[in-house]
Amino acid sequence: MSTQDQHGRGHPHPARTRLRAPRLLAAALTLATALGATLAPAPQRAAAKEKRVLTVAVAQSVDSLSPFLATRLVSTSIHRLMYEYLTDYDPRDAHVVPGLATAWKPSPDKLTWTYTIRSDAKWSDGRQVTAEDAAWTFRKMMTDEGAATANGSFVGNFAKVTAPSPTKLVIELKKPQATMTALDVPIVPKHVWDKVRDFSKFNNDRSFPVVGDGPFVLTDYKPDSYVRLQPNKTFWRGAPKFDELVFKYYKDGDAAVAALQKGEVSFVSGLTPAQTAALRGQKNVKVNEAPGRRFYALATNPGAHARNGRRFGDGHPSLLDERVRHALFMAVDRRTLIDRVFQGHAVQGEGYIPPRFSTYFWKPSADQELSYDPAGAARLLDEAGYRKNGDGRRVGKDGRPITYRLLCHATDPNDKAVGQYLKEWWGKLGIGVTLDCLDNVTDPWLAGRYDLAFDGWSVNPDPDFVLSIHTCAALPATPKDTGATDNFICDRKYDELYARQLAEYEPAERADVVKQMESRLYDLGYMNVMAYPNAMEAYRTDQIESITTMPEKSGNIYGQDGYWSWWSAVPADSGTSSGGGSTGIVIGVGAGFVALAGAGAFLALRRRATAEDRE
Amino acid sequence: MTTETAPPTAQAGPRALAWQRRRHSVARFWKQYRTRRAGLLGLATLVLFALVAVTAPLTVGSDVSSVTAAPGRPLQGPSGELPLGADRFGRDLLGLLVWGARVSLLVGLLAAVLSVAIGTLVGVTAGHFRGMYATVMMRITDWFLVMPTLVLAIALATVMSRSLGTVILAIGVTSWPTTARLVRAQTLAVESRPYIERARALGGGHRHIMLRHVLPNVMPLVLAQTTLMISSSILAEATLAFLGLGDPTVVSWGGLLQDAREAGAVSSGDWWYLVPPGVAIAVVALAFTLCGRAVESVLNPRLGVAR
Repeated sequence: MSTQDQHGRGHPHPARTRLRAPRLLAAALTLATALGATLAPAPQRAAAKEKRVLTVAVAQSVDSLSPFLATRLVSTSIHRLMYEYLTDYDPRDAHVVPGLATAWKPSPDKLTWTYTIRSDAKWSDGRQVTAEDAAWTFRKMMTDEGAATANGSFVGNFAKVTAPSPTKLVIELKKPQATMTALDVPIVPKHVWDKVRDFSKFNNDRSFPVVGDGPFVLTDYKPDSYVRLQPNKTFWRGAPKFDELVFKYYKDGDAAVAALQKGEVSFVSGLTPAQTAALRGQKNVKVNEAPGRRFYALATNPGAHARNGRRFGDGHPSLLDERVRHALFMAVDRRTLIDRVFQGHAVQGEGYIPPRFSTYFWKPSADQELSYDPAGAARLLDEAGYRKNGDGRRVGKDGRPITYRLLCHATDPNDKAVGQYLKEWWGKLGIGVTLDCLDNVTDPWLAGRYDLAFDGWSVNPDPDFVLSIHTCAALPATPKDTGATDNFICDRKYDELYARQLAEYEPAERADVVKQMESRLYDLGYMNVMAYPNAMEAYRTDQIESITTMPEKSGNIYGQDGYWSWWSAVPADSGTSSGGGSTGIVIGVGAGFVALAGAGAFLALRRRATAEDRE
Repeated sequence: MTTETAPPTAQAGPRALAWQRRRHSVARFWKQYRTRRAGLLGLATLVLFALVAVTAPLTVGSDVSSVTAAPGRPLQGPSGELPLGADRFGRDLLGLLVWGARVSLLVGLLAAVLSVAIGTLVGVTAGHFRGMYATVMMRITDWFLVMPTLVLAIALATVMSRSLGTVILAIGVTSWPTTARLVRAQTLAVESRPYIERARALGGGHRHIMLRHVLPNVMPLVLAQTTLMISSSILAEATLAFLGLGDPTVVSWGGLLQDAREAGAVSSGDWWYLVPPGVAIAVVALAFTLCGRAVESVLNPRLGVAR
C-alpha cells in the first residue's frame, strides 16, 4: 500500500521573527513574478508540440518485465505491446489471425508444424525479425527450467524446434497438440536475450529502451510508479496513433477516478458499481461495461506438494475431505454475492471458463450442482465426522475447533466484502474464519501457508493455459522452486483429460473434453467459481476518440487478448484542456501569492502597531 | 492509584491522613476544573460518547455489523428507516457508527495507556538511575522520537497479523517517546528535592523512591499526558484502518472510512458514508484534547500562572 505522507502532521510555522512589511511584500511579489514567468510559457509550449499521451491508470504491480517469468495481467498485457506473438486473435470474434507468422501448416501426421515468418517485421534496433528468434525463444523454454516458468505449458510437448531459413520455422511435436495456432508466447530477440545468464532472475528492467517488435517499445519503468512506452513507427501492422502510452499507478480506485474526472488519465479500469453509476452521467466520459473474461473463485489448499513428492505448507487437513469442500461451497449464496457485492455487475459462477467463451463454457447439471443449501452443508459436515461441540463450533480430527485462514488481497475491495459474507455463512455452519488480507499474497501462497484463498484468472480464447495450471506437471519441482501451478492441484483423471484435449485437433471434440475437465474440477471442489465479474472501465472521449473493444460487440478494453485497444486508439482533437489547466494553475499560484503577501503585510503592520503595547 | 481502602477513622493514622489529603486534592482539582468551560464541554461530550459506546450492545446489538442480515440496499441514501443511509453492504450506518464507537474508543484508550505506561517506565527509570543506563534509554527514546510515528506503525501493522491487538500495539509502541521525555524531566526535578535525599538517608531503596516518592509526583503529568494521548491514538487508529491495515471484519470509524473509499463513495458523492464517521472521529479527538488541556492547566502550576 502506498504511504504518501498526506497524513503526516505538519507544524505551523511560528512567525515570531519580526519582518518589516515592505521587504516582505517585495520579496513575495518578486517570487510571484518569477514563478509566473516560468509557468506562463507552459501552455504555448504544450500547444506548439502537442504530444498526445494516452495515460492508463493501473493498480496491479508488475511481477516481472521478463516474458519468461510474468504471469500477472498487467505484465502480460504490456508484453503483448512489446513483443509480437506467432499468431494473434481477431478483435471481432477471437479467431486466429496472422501475427509474426503469416501462414502455418501441419504435416499429415500432425506432428510437424511449419510456420512462415513475415519478412516485413523489424526489431526496434533495426535488425530483421527472423525464424531463428522464434526458434531460439522456444528452445530456451524447452531447455532452461527458469525460462519455462510462465509459458512452459506450451512447449512441454515440443520435440525439436528449428529454423531452416529466416522465414521458416519448423516445430516437431512428441504428440499432437491442439494449441499450435494459439501459442501465447512472446517471441524475443535472440541477439539481445542470449546474453542473459539466469532466466529465473533476470527481470528485463535494466536497460531502456527494451528491444521489441510489437506496436510499442518500452522506454521507461519505475516499479509501482509508471510504465512508459513509445509507439513503434515501423510496426508492420501500422504505427499506433498516440505519441506515448503511459501506464500510471493509482493504488487507490477513487484517486484514479478523480484523475479521470480531471483529465489527468485517459482510461480507468476496475471500477466499483458506485463509481460506474457516478461516471455514467458525466460529460466527456464514456463508461464501457462488458462481460468479463475473468472468473472469481475460491481456491482450497489441497495440501501443497512438489513434483518430487515432498509436502510443504500447512493447509488444514480437514480440507482434504471432498465432503468438507463441497459443504463449504454449498453454504455460499452466489446470488446474494452478485446482488450485493457486485450489485448486478457480474454473472453467477458455474464452471471454470466464463460464459463469454461459449465454445468451452460448461455448467453443472441440476444433480451435480452444489447449489446454496446450508442445511445440506451441515449434514455433509456431520457425515464427514466434523460435529459441533458444546459451543456450537465444529471440531477437527485433532479435537480443536476448526478455523480456516482465508487469504485475501488487501488491494481488492471485493475480496474483503465477499470474505465478510463467507465468514458469516460459515460461522452459521460452526466454522471459524480469519480473513488474512495482505498486500503480498504471493509469499504465503507459494509456500502453501493458507487454507482457502480468493483466486481469479483471465481466460484466453484458447483455454489451454488456464487448464494447464491445475495439472501435476505444473507443480514446483521441489518445495523451493516456483511452479506454474495455481493451487497445487494434482489429479490423475484431470491430467488424462488434459492430455487428451491437447492432442485433439477436432474443435468440437476438444471442446467436449475441456467440458469434462471442467466437470472434474467442479467435482473435486478445489476451485469453486463464485462469479464472472464484468469488466467495468471508463475513458475520456475528449482524449480518446475511438478505441477497439474485444470482442467488438460489448467487449472489454483493458487486458485484451492482444494489443488491439491501445494500438487502435485514436486521439481526440482537443488541445484546449491542457492549456486551460496550466492557465488555471498560473492564476491560482498568482492569487495565492497575492493573498499570502497581503496577509503577511497585514500581520507585520499589526505587530508593528502593537509594538509599544507588547513587552 | 493504590488499592487499599481507608481504615476506620477512629484514630487518624497516617493512612487515614493520606486518604483525607487525597480526597481534598481531588475536590480541589474538581473545583478548579469546573471553572474551565472548554474542559467541561469536552467532558460532557466524552461522557455522552462513552454512554453510547457502553450501551451499544443494548441499543443496536452486534447484528448491526452482520452483512447477511443487512436491512437496506447497498449505498442507499438516508431515509426515515435508515437515518444515515446504508453502507456498501446495505447495513444501517447509524447503527454502525454507534457500534464502531466501541472499537475506536477502546483502541484509543488501550493504545494511549500502553504508550504512557512505556513512556512512564522509561522516563522514571532514566531520570532515577542516570549514568550509562539513562544515556542508552534516552538515545533509544531519541531514535523513536525522530522516526515518523505513522511510518513505524504502518511497518509494524504490516508485518503482524491484522487484528485489534496489533493496532493497539503498533500505536502504543511507537508513540511513547514524548511521554518518556516529559516524565524524565519531571523525575529529575523531583529527585533534586531534599526529601528524596532524606528518604535515601533513611535507607529507602531505588524501588521505594521511584514508587513511593517519584511516581506520585509525576502522576498528574502522566494523567494529563494520557488524556492528550488518547485523542492522537484515536486518530492513529482511524488512520491505520483508513490505510487498510486494520482488521477488515471489525467495525470502527476509520474502517468505515476505508470501506467508503474502497466502494468509491468519494467519487460518487455518497456523503452519508463519509461524513458521519469523519465527524465522530473529529469530535471525540477534540473532546479528549479539551479535557487534556483543562487537566493539564489545573495540575501544572506553570501553565496556571498564564491564565
